[in-house]
Amino acid sequence: MNAPAETVRGGVAGWFEERLRISGLLAALLHVRIPVSAQTYYLGGISLFLFGVQLISGTLLALYYKPTADAAYESVKYITSVVDFGWLIRSVHHWGATLMIASVGLHMGRIFVQAAYKYPRELTWMFGVLLFAVTILFGFTGYLLPWDQKAYWATTVGTEIAGGVPLIGDALLNLLRGGADVSDATLNRFFGMHVLVLPLLLAGLVVVHLTIVHQLGLASPRHPEPRPVRRGGPAQPVDEPLKPFFPHYILDELIAWFVVLAALVVLASVLPAGLEDEADPLITPQHVKPEWYFLSVYQLLKIVPRTIGIVAPMIAVAILLLLPFLDRNPAVAKRRRPLALSAAVLAVIGLVALTVWGAQS
Amino acid sequence: MTSRRRRLGTGRLQLLRLAVVVGGLVALAAVGVGGAVAQDGGSSPSPTASAPVGPTASGATGDTNTCRTCHSAIDNVQHEITEAWGASVHAQAGINCADCHGGDPTSDQVTVSMSVAAGFRGTPGRTESVATCGDCHSDVTRMRQYQIPTDQYAKYRASVHGEQLFGAGDARVAICIDCHGSHDIKKASDPTARVYPLNVPSLCASCHSDTAYMEPYGIPTNQLAIYSESVHGKLLLDESDLRAPTCVSCHGSHDAKPPSSAEVVGVCGRCHTATQALYEQSRHAELEIGPKCWTCHGNHDVVQPDESRFFHPKPPSIDCTTCHNPVDRSLVLSADRFTNDDDRRCDTCHHPDSLLYAQAEGIHDALATAAGAYDAAEAKIREAAGVGMIVSDADVELAGAKTSLIRARAAVHTTKLTDVAALADEAESKAGAAQAIAEEKLDDALRRRAAMVIVLALIVVNVFALILIRRRLDHSYAGASNGKPRANVLS
Repeated sequence: MNAPAETVRGGVAGWFEERLRISGLLAALLHVRIPVSAQTYYLGGISLFLFGVQLISGTLLALYYKPTADAAYESVKYITSVVDFGWLIRSVHHWGATLMIASVGLHMGRIFVQAAYKYPRELTWMFGVLLFAVTILFGFTGYLLPWDQKAYWATTVGTEIAGGVPLIGDALLNLLRGGADVSDATLNRFFGMHVLVLPLLLAGLVVVHLTIVHQLGLASPRHPEPRPVRRGGPAQPVDEPLKPFFPHYILDELIAWFVVLAALVVLASVLPAGLEDEADPLITPQHVKPEWYFLSVYQLLKIVPRTIGIVAPMIAVAILLLLPFLDRNPAVAKRRRPLALSAAVLAVIGLVALTVWGAQS
Repeated sequence: MTSRRRRLGTGRLQLLRLAVVVGGLVALAAVGVGGAVAQDGGSSPSPTASAPVGPTASGATGDTNTCRTCHSAIDNVQHEITEAWGASVHAQAGINCADCHGGDPTSDQVTVSMSVAAGFRGTPGRTESVATCGDCHSDVTRMRQYQIPTDQYAKYRASVHGEQLFGAGDARVAICIDCHGSHDIKKASDPTARVYPLNVPSLCASCHSDTAYMEPYGIPTNQLAIYSESVHGKLLLDESDLRAPTCVSCHGSHDAKPPSSAEVVGVCGRCHTATQALYEQSRHAELEIGPKCWTCHGNHDVVQPDESRFFHPKPPSIDCTTCHNPVDRSLVLSADRFTNDDDRRCDTCHHPDSLLYAQAEGIHDALATAAGAYDAAEAKIREAAGVGMIVSDADVELAGAKTSLIRARAAVHTTKLTDVAALADEAESKAGAAQAIAEEKLDDALRRRAAMVIVLALIVVNVFALILIRRRLDHSYAGASNGKPRANVLS
């Protein structure tokens, strides 16, 4: 057992290293393969940053928030108008949600355009789609919590949409609402979902997603990932230089986070989160509209039969989830993927058009 | 019904049709007699005098109502009549054709069912029809189960319509079936009924807006147009607010008659109870011929009152004789002087040199100041809400100011300056408090934006520092690679 003597570093780092033996793990973690042609626009990292912002601001809000129908509205009003910096924390949480959904959506768009969902990153993509779904669920459950008129009636409409899902609609509606109507029971379970179930789920999915990203590195938008020549054989090498992940890429990411933070501060200060009248099940507002990211589904439901309006988005999500297996074209260059890109452009135009239509109608 | 028709057979049906035509002629003759009776001076029997013809008289049920069986097969018009009756509240209550038209609905022989011997009366004349309705609807015992008032017939006889019908023999006036329908009678609470509150203005206007029809009576025909633009009309017709008065709220329905000047306060006070109580404390109410509600607010053309309604822009030329009898100095209040909405002002009666004018001026100024303070506070609160501030506490204070302002405006009806001024001061004070809260929030919003600028500056400094570090890293990285490929290849 005559192991070679290890070089021992001094100072605090050395003290911890002796006890944790972690330098090897850190060195491995801080190495992610990034081809020089990969343009991430830092969107994945920004989404992660915003998740962190939501986690911190949400925890602070939970210190004062009371999740009951009798007290929720007053507690939110108290947070916004009495608690020191309460307005800022609530507004940051409000805008953080919007920016997070936007950045996750843009991140998916970037992955699609650069064909980074293809072999061998099918699972990365699928976990990404699940992350997107969880982010949307965060928005849906969080929207009810202020318990004002907008929250109450948007949730009433939203859960009714869920109630229209074929076969399981009634059971799903009952499960979501905890009864026939949006009530105290609904608020309780939405709060539980929002602060316990979804954060744990999202954190778990993020760990899996990032682990796969770390293991596979980023995709090159120029070259398809080479498949093994034969079973067990080495992969075909591609002669593309890499960018250093740490500290270069991390520094760039940090700068992007600062820019997003600046946007959050401006939005929260100039357009702070508002509060309408307290929820009243007996007074239906004239125009009930969901948050912007649900407007397309909302508008679709108005113009097509109910079943189609509910089933079509479900099919769209299923297509999104199974995209790596539906799109069998191995090419990554844009000019060699005319069908996929045309379909995506049409889908985005449709989505934007429905959203704008929904906002104006 | 279909199986019955089959049993009758085609030949028998033709015979029946022939009989119906003959029966119809008999009915027409009966109507002619009835009409002649009405034209002769409205000697229609009173409900108590006429033979009782009620639901139990005919003995017809859904299965034995041969009237419907045959009449629905005659032609489309008859078919629609039977269908309308079938959907009516009368059909639901078991009131059949024979209960109004007489005859024997249990017989399928037209010579029996529509015979005079069986009491067949055909279509009642207009005057007679009122009595026919009244027969049942004045019967307390019969109406008890439906909880329907039984004084409609008596009220109708006392109305201008009833007086004209029974007194002057004028059958052109509105009778029961003109408003309620004849066969298609619905409950007044049914939104599709002609007498449902939302439909009442157009129902009354169907006659009262008809210039030719109203010409013999010399009645104006523009009431609906005027009412539609009034605060009451807009509330009812535009916002479907059933609390708003319809024509019948002020004129009565069965007892329709324009309220007299003396009655107006009581009529308006049925809804404006608190205002009536205030008015009755006033000097105006003490005067025998004093201003009433209509003097300042009009009747069909009531608009939202405000402080602009106190005085003419330029005081009108008036002297003592404008309002007083030159002989005994008693008050003379000519309705013509208040026809035009612009003339319903304090200075239409009170001379600018009078003490009462000064008092009216004091009331006006107190209200205008309070209203100005309220408007200013509201604008400031909306400004604060516009920059994203939560203004519910200011809104609560403002609501208090509004309540005081409403009370101050209502107190105008007392004509007491001290009462109005006290409430107006209260409104002004509360509006001031609301405005102070809003201003504090606006200051807070400004402080937040100043803080935002500082935070942004710090972020910019950090970003520049990071960019500098990044550049140094790039330089050192380029130097270390020394022109060789910068990193390993994908493998």
